[in-house]
Order: sequence, then C-alpha cells, then structure tokens
Amino acid sequence: MIRRALTAVHCLALLLAAAAAPARAADWRMEAAGSRLEFTALFEKTSAPGVFREFDTRLRFDPDKPADSRLEVNIKISSADMNSTDINNAIRGAEWFDFGRFPQAEFRATDIRRIEANRYVARGALTLKGVQQAVEVPFTWSAVPAPAGARGTFAGMEGEFALRRSAFGIGSGEWAATNVIGAEVRVKFRVRLRSDG
Amino acid sequence: MPPMLRNSRESWGSLARFFHWAVAALVLVQVALGLAASAWRLSPMKLDLFVWHKSLGFVILLLVLLRLIWRMVNPTPALSAGMSGIERLGARASHGLFYVLLILLPVNGWVINSAANVPFSIFWLLPLPAIVAPSPALAGTAENAHFVLFSLLSLLVVVHAGAALRHHFVKRDEVLSRMLFGPPRT
Ligand code: HEM
Ligand code: HEM
Repeated sequence: MIRRALTAVHCLALLLAAAAAPARAADWRMEAAGSRLEFTALFEKTSAPGVFREFDTRLRFDPDKPADSRLEVNIKISSADMNSTDINNAIRGAEWFDFGRFPQAEFRATDIRRIEANRYVARGALTLKGVQQAVEVPFTWSAVPAPAGARGTFAGMEGEFALRRSAFGIGSGEWAATNVIGAEVRVKFRVRLRSDG
Repeated sequence: MPPMLRNSRESWGSLARFFHWAVAALVLVQVALGLAASAWRLSPMKLDLFVWHKSLGFVILLLVLLRLIWRMVNPTPALSAGMSGIERLGARASHGLFYVLLILLPVNGWVINSAANVPFSIFWLLPLPAIVAPSPALAGTAENAHFVLFSLLSLLVVVHAGAALRHHFVKRDEVLSRMLFGPPRT
C-alpha cells in the first residue's frame, strides 16, 4: 500500500518534471537581423576585418541548467566579405577558403558550461575547409527585451575567440608563412535569439 | 669651398642639394618598386613589394613637403643669365610640374589604397587611415590616374635630365654644377 502510494507520488513527480523541463531548456532560433559573425585577420601587420554575411544558429539552452544544451551553427563560408574586391577574389581560391569545395562550415557543441554569472563556454567541434577541430567558444548570455509587438522571449549571445588558420589549412603553400598574413584569426559574434517555448 | 647649408642667389645650399638628389634617387627606386609590385604574381612577395612602394611614397611626400618649406624660407638661385625667355618659362614650368606630380602621385596612391580597401600600415607600423570610402569603381579610376601621373613624371625626368646635360655640356653654364656636390662653375 505504502509502496503503491510512493510509486504514484514518484510518477507524479516525474510527470511534473517532464512538463517543466521543455519550458526551461528552451529552443532558440536565430534572428538574422541583429546577428553578426565577424572575423579579423592580420594583413601585413594591419588588421583586416571581414564578415560572414550568412550564417544560422540553433540552440537548446537553459541558462540556469546549461548541461542539457545543444548548439549548432552553420556558416556559409562563401558569404565571406572583406569589403575589398581584390581580397574577396583572393580568399575564394583553393589556397584560402576554397569556396568551390568547402562552401559551408559548422560548429556543433553539446558541452556548455557556466564559468560565472552570465558567462559560459561551449566546447565543441568546428568543421571548416574539411578539417574538424575541437574548439572552445566562450560567450555571454543576456536576456533582451522583446521588440514592440513581438511574441516570444529574446536573448543575446556574444563572444570572441581566436583560431589558428594553419589548423584548417587556410592559407596554404607559400601563404603558410605568417609574417605577411598573421597566424591568428579572431572571430567575434553577436547573435540575437528568439524562443517561442 | 663646400656649399653652405642655405641657398644663395648664385647657388644651391647643401640642404637643397640633398633634397634634390635624395628625392631623385628615391623616385627611381619608387618607380622600380611600383612596376615590380604591379607585375608580380599574387604572392606574399607581391604584398611586401606593395608595402615598400606605398611606404616609400609617403617618405617621398614628406621630403617634398619639407623641401618646399625649405625653398620658401630660402633665396632661390636666379636662373642662369644665358637663358632665353622660352628656356626660362620651360625651366619654371617643368620645376613647378615636378612638385605638383610629386604631391599628386602619393595622394592619388592613397586614394587607390583607400578605395581598394587594402589594409596597409606605413612600414608595417603606422596604420594608414582611409581618405575615401571603399569603391571598386573609384579604385579603377585612381589606378588609371596613377599610371598617367607616372607617365608624365617619366617624360618630365627625361626632358629635365636632358636639359641639365645640355646646360652642362652644350651651354657650358653653371646650372648642373651648382646642383651637384661641388662649387658652382664660374
Ligand atoms: C612618388 C610617389 C609614387 C610614384 C612615383 C609611384 C609610381 C608607381 C608606378 C610606376 C606604378 C606602376 C605602374 C602603375 O601600375 O601605375 C605604381 C603602382 C601603384 N602604386 Fe604607386 N607611386 C607612388 C606613390 C604611391 C603611394 C603613396 C601609394 C599608396 C599609398 C601607391 C600605390 C600604388 C598602387 C596601389 C599601385 C598599383 C596600381 C595598379 O594596380 O594599377 N603609390 N606606382
Ligand atoms: C626623379 C628625378 C628628378 C626630380 C624629381 C628632379 C626635380 C627637380 C626640381 C623640382 C628642381 C627645381 C628645384 C627648385 O627650383 O626648387 C630641379 C632642379 C634641378 N635638377 Fe632635377 N630632378 C630630378 C633628376 C635630375 C637629374 C637626373 C639631373 C641631372 C642630370 C637633375 C638636374 C637638376 C639641376 C641641375 C637643377 C637645378 C636647376 C637650376 O639650378 O635652376 N635633376 N630638379
């Protein structure tokens, strides 16, 4: 009898937990307007900024319980724009991004941890120019007020990290030397997310 | 007697001579760098050649501006007494055109660099701010202008050097010797 009652309570608790969980680990979709993915290379010791005009982010994330998260970023590499005809023509080539063979890059992470307050780090795999590498992406998470008339919850995700271009074979052959084009590329993102859950 | 630092009405001082020959030598190097950088296939070497070319262009601009200031605060040696009216006009016009071209070329180069939006720091140290917004069309026009200005400059150097040699070997006057490292011929 007592066991039965306990089992019922147990079941009830599970049900309640199940009902509560999806509301907490919300599914977020990126709002392209208000999102930006930038990169900055070093060209003859001078900073050379660019953007990926097209990318998309999907996220399952609860800021208070980041353990069950899933982050997926898809980047259209061929949308890279360094705001210079000469440089844009160069980076599409096989020695650089090789748009023809690798038009797309992706980042997948299921391991997101809180560092402190609103700062997190996502550990995952970046696939770029056909090379997969483990990458740590730190970010801050902040609630964003919903625009007038919009439904749903809004949040912002921002961060910055550095990559070594050689790890992905970007700038091969004679361009592997790092005195003319620097070894490090800084990546900076500002993503605006919306959840209807 | 070695020349004085300042000019006199008869001859160029040592600083004016230094400016003249330093700019003349650097312009030759600059033209070689410009031609080499343009012709080189796209490679790290080409990008380096362009950094040298653009950086040296600013050194030349600085020297020419200093030279003009020095010219203003100094007497200018009178043109040689044996020159006709047309020779005087030619000398004044061509010397003026040199200064105009030597200022326009670097400024025009700056326009190319800004319009083409190529990141550049003078001697890898001093980032050059843009003077025009990125525009492929403007970059193309400015590149054509750069070539026209360079062609004018080349033509002028040939005429100018020819005139200097004519002064020295045909007219046998003091014009070349008072610009060279030596006393003016009297
Ligand atoms: C006294 C100063 C200068 C001289 C005599 C000079 C001369 C030349 C010459 C002979 C060329 C190759 C022919 C051509 O493509 O037009 C050239 C190309 C070039 N110069 Fe200069 N230049 C000067 C200053 C500058 C400066 C200051 C810059 C940039 C900040 C610059 C940028 C360029 C560029 C980008 C090209 C390649 C143009 C192209 O691709 O058509 N130049 N220059
Ligand atoms: C890129 C090369 C050169 C440039 C840009 C250049 C420029 C000039 C300029 C601007 C002046 C006028 C100085 C003034 O009145 O303030 C001048 C004078 C002079 N240049 Fe050149 N020059 C060049 C090459 C040469 C060469 C190769 C020679 C000799 C073969 C030469 C011989 C002279 C002489 C003799 C004068 C003095 C004229 C006088 O005393 O009235 N220059 N040069």
